[in-house]
Amino acid sequence: MSMGMTDMVKISDGAAEGSYLTDGWTLRSWLLSTDHKRIALLYLGSITFFFFIGGAAAALVRLNLIVPEGLLGSAEAYNRLFTMHGVIMVWFFLVPAVPVTLGNFLIPLMLGARDLAFPRLNLFTWYLFITGGAITLWALFVGGVDTGWTFYTPLSTTYSQGHVVLAAVGIFISGFASIATGLNFIVSIHRLRAPGLTWYRMPVFLWSIYSLSVLLVLATPVLAITLLLLALERLFHIGVFDPAIGGDPLLFQHLFWFYSHPAVYIMILPGFGVVSEIIPTFSRKSIFGYKFVVWASVSIAVISFFVWGHHMFVAGTSVYSAVLFSILSYLVAVPSAIKVFNWLGTMHKGFVRFDAPMLYALGFIGLFTIGGLTGLWVAALAADVHLTQTYFVVAHFHYIMVGGMVSAFFGGLHFWWPKITGRMYPEMWARVAALIMFIGFNITFFPQFILGLLGMPRRYFSYSPDFQVLNVLSSAGASVLASAYLLPLAYLTWSLFHGERAPANPWGATGLEWQTTSPPPTVNFVEIPVVTEGPYAYPPPETVHQQNV
Amino acid sequence: MSSTVAHDFQYESASYQAQTAVAGMWLFLATEVLFFGGMILTWIYSRHWNQLGFDAGVRQTDLSIGTLNTFVLVTSSFVYALGLLFIREGNIRQLIRCCVVTLVLGLIFLALKFGVEWPEDFAHHLFPSAPNFKISGPSEGGARLFFIFYFIGTALHGVHMVVGIGLLLWVIRRARRGEFSPSYHTPVTVVGLYWSFVDIVWLTLYPLIYLIGRGR
Amino acid sequence: MKPGMMRLLVTWGLLILLGGTELAASYLPLARCWRPLVMIPGVLMVLVVSIGFMEVKKGPVIVRAFAVAAMFWLFVLLALGSADPLTRTNYYVPDIHVK
Repeated sequence: MSMGMTDMVKISDGAAEGSYLTDGWTLRSWLLSTDHKRIALLYLGSITFFFFIGGAAAALVRLNLIVPEGLLGSAEAYNRLFTMHGVIMVWFFLVPAVPVTLGNFLIPLMLGARDLAFPRLNLFTWYLFITGGAITLWALFVGGVDTGWTFYTPLSTTYSQGHVVLAAVGIFISGFASIATGLNFIVSIHRLRAPGLTWYRMPVFLWSIYSLSVLLVLATPVLAITLLLLALERLFHIGVFDPAIGGDPLLFQHLFWFYSHPAVYIMILPGFGVVSEIIPTFSRKSIFGYKFVVWASVSIAVISFFVWGHHMFVAGTSVYSAVLFSILSYLVAVPSAIKVFNWLGTMHKGFVRFDAPMLYALGFIGLFTIGGLTGLWVAALAADVHLTQTYFVVAHFHYIMVGGMVSAFFGGLHFWWPKITGRMYPEMWARVAALIMFIGFNITFFPQFILGLLGMPRRYFSYSPDFQVLNVLSSAGASVLASAYLLPLAYLTWSLFHGERAPANPWGATGLEWQTTSPPPTVNFVEIPVVTEGPYAYPPPETVHQQNV
Repeated sequence: MSSTVAHDFQYESASYQAQTAVAGMWLFLATEVLFFGGMILTWIYSRHWNQLGFDAGVRQTDLSIGTLNTFVLVTSSFVYALGLLFIREGNIRQLIRCCVVTLVLGLIFLALKFGVEWPEDFAHHLFPSAPNFKISGPSEGGARLFFIFYFIGTALHGVHMVVGIGLLLWVIRRARRGEFSPSYHTPVTVVGLYWSFVDIVWLTLYPLIYLIGRGR
Repeated sequence: MKPGMMRLLVTWGLLILLGGTELAASYLPLARCWRPLVMIPGVLMVLVVSIGFMEVKKGPVIVRAFAVAAMFWLFVLLALGSADPLTRTNYYVPDIHVK
């Protein structure tokens, strides 16, 4: 395979000998490793675990909703279930997912560095993460929380019977893992680039990681203070949110959403990055409008801080600030749309292959676009008055988070699986899983748009019998979706033992991570590469004679 | 674990690594700005809705202790920065002396705040959830809110001071082992940044809890 | 006197001066809503500490970028966050006595 990107030579053959996987077999060598690649795998195990717990909660939620009076029979139980689902999926799956697994693994490789800037801090973040996760799980299993993942006051501070403080403590601790991870990434990208790797030669994935790291670092601390104030009010009855003494319950919502809106961009930006790597590779063409794509990521990161009020349109904020937030919300949609056009432009006249990662990426584009466009509906003040707190919003964000982000995560996992494990996954099964996921997802969530428009409220354990057909359809779709998630668990695990051994660059992709063995040695590169070309240096399609690529 | 990574194997030089550590600390301090920023927003909201009560609360705080503490902290930052100057020219003994003085000043601050001022506040029935709160009438709610901000703000600042004191002890210990020199004293620089930042947090809290609203 | 010593003494002196100004300013007869302006010397003190003690002007460029970013984002939080209470129409509610 041609590797026109660097001047590096002396790459040893793609055997697993002397890779980071074989560099120490004891439990200690894994649990105390400061190697970013091993830490990435520790994280991968953890977030997979949390994904399935959050998924189980979702399954129970959908199970409850197959009959109008609620199958589980208890509103309190239902409330605790959807809260568990939200808390786990947001903080223990979506926010960490790509950054701590693919990010941790790939960033030094893509930078041409031997590790991140602060490897011991990196290991420490994993321990913070699982400590926070353990405490939160404990809270959820000793009875749970019924406030929703949004913890609005005064339910959370005064009236809830759930384990609010315990859950808040768990999330608070895991927040420090987020902050430290983001800090590590930002400093690494600034300081550890290989010779010749200027900012505009970096792959889009790195720009996305950089952008989301800015969000991690600046938004998460506000969540920390918010949870702290919440816990203090609940524990000691000293409440800044208590209207009886002149406090403002909306203050909680402002503080909470100041973090939580950027948080949703923390969740989706890495998905943009992954898709921006997959599409050029499987179109065998340089990304269309590189500078637009990277600056779109940065603008999304910046503008995402200005829009949080759109979660509070009916909460009682001033109508003037609501108008301001609505306008700013429309602004933030622009860079996202730009990216979609860039991906399509990349594929145009390229040599498109439909390997599994590409199927996931294509699914991402379709589903994310629907999710994003419906965001425009709810960003309009007048429309939001009717749509807020209904299933329309639920469908909107699931299209982005699940249809978009989870698809991208799976796409990235498959794309870099050969690099991470040194094995190829079974292609046919992967394509089947991708298709089932796409179909199952739409059956689950499209009906929810309709339910929302018809007026079905969210977070209610029972509903009007008129809505039953669509609810049953949605729950049926959920079981299809669940099988689509279980399939990769099975065949990816299988591939670890029986998969075909992967060469250094099975996809013929550009990027420094493909210039080292699969899996890489502990030190990442035998010799630090020197970068002389831009990213995605595929030959322009016009110059290539049609050949079997 | 294998070839364990001498911890600067991904850096091209020790000085590059030192500068990177400084950059990392500044970024961490940026996160702290946002953390305390949430508290400042809380102050803004609380005071906005309860100006009378808030100002009534401010007048109950002990201005002399607050001002003295400000002086103590500002001086401690000066002394520590002096210590940094010393180690840049290789004088470890003076560095240690400066760190110890900084430490003592920090302890004085904590003693004044938590050993004198807080007990005084409790004795005057200023704890916000107390049933016999000192201020009653229309300003009561606002004054309670003020004191919620006061106690949480000073507690958070105090926690950061305690961490700072721990870091000072660590620096002193390493200095006594002779681990610093003009070419390597990154921990000293980085702890200094943290200490001055905690100072900055106090400089922000001071007007919010002692000054604004005190005037006629 | 050591080379950096002058810088440190000036910094310390400026801080004492500004602190005193701030203290004095708090006794000015300002209307309640203007009283937060008393913080201006305080903000200057923060600047002085960053430059004099923390040496924000030395070191790699990203140090200044991080410091500016922190200030900018703090400003966004406080400004956009205050937009709501400052523009809300306040409907009269009689005072509530707490217990």
